Amino acid sequence: MTTLFVLDVPENTPVAEVAAQDPAVTVGQLGPYFVISADGAIVVDRRATGCRHAVWYSCVAGVARDGRITQHDKDALRVEAV
Amino acid sequence: MRVQDSGARDHRVRGVDHVAFPTFDPAGTVRFYRDVLGFPVVHSICAAGWGPENHPDFVHFFFDIGNDDRIAFFYYFDVTPEVGGAAGERGDVYARFGADVPEYFVRSRHLAIHVDSEEDLLEYRRRLDASSWPVEMQIRHETIESIYTHDPNGYMVELTRAMRPVTPQEDLDANLTIDALLDVVGQPEPSFGKLLARKAELIVERAGTWRSTDHPEPVQ
Repeated sequence: MTTLFVLDVPENTPVAEVAAQDPAVTVGQLGPYFVISADGAIVVDRRATGCRHAVWYSCVAGVARDGRITQHDKDALRVEAV
Repeated sequence: MRVQDSGARDHRVRGVDHVAFPTFDPAGTVRFYRDVLGFPVVHSICAAGWGPENHPDFVHFFFDIGNDDRIAFFYYFDVTPEVGGAAGERGDVYARFGADVPEYFVRSRHLAIHVDSEEDLLEYRRRLDASSWPVEMQIRHETIESIYTHDPNGYMVELTRAMRPVTPQEDLDANLTIDALLDVVGQPEPSFGKLLARKAELIVERAGTWRSTDHPEPVQ
């Protein structure tokens, strides 16, 4: 199980929306955070979000200990199970 | 401005009284801050050197940067920039850096002055661009927009506007970040991955019960 937390502010909404397009990914809410989780990898395409540098590279609020970020570059954010 | 999660201590301070820097170029400094940017001179002190040290005579002068906050300079008579050490390849008159120091570190320390609107930001851009210190960068960081230049002393100056107000949940997130950071730097080998893992735990502990009304706007 991989779980990614993203703060719910207007600029971050596309990150959660794009993540949710994968049927294997569920997006819930915990207080003011999106909780993005999947049994396998979570992959978010940067271009699909429309995010530019500042938002894209600061959109991750937390990654639960059973997952880790394996890619976070101009193309994608990828969180995989440890 | 919001009430921060700072425990039981009330928050009494009222912004920046002044921030002070040395200058070896008072003429350029006055041109930049007073004549180009239009920051009024609001205070100055002419003082004979005193004390047990070999303290030079000096002038301490202040410019208003809005909100009654001030930027101040010390000009010491008969003192040259070498008093601060050998000239560096980069940096400013207070901090000099050799070629081996990474650029991100050289550029890290700066003063950012707030403006309320895009119109105001562009007005300062016009003033700087018509001067000897044109804007070097104009960047939209998506939630803020800033212009940058270096003053005659080499100090990096930013003027910035918010493109939307800071939300209450960003205050929560900032506090969770700091609590996670302190936990991580208290352990061996702090890393960004460990920070995000610790922060995930704090989100699970605290975010579910958080309400934005826990952090009301104070009465101004």
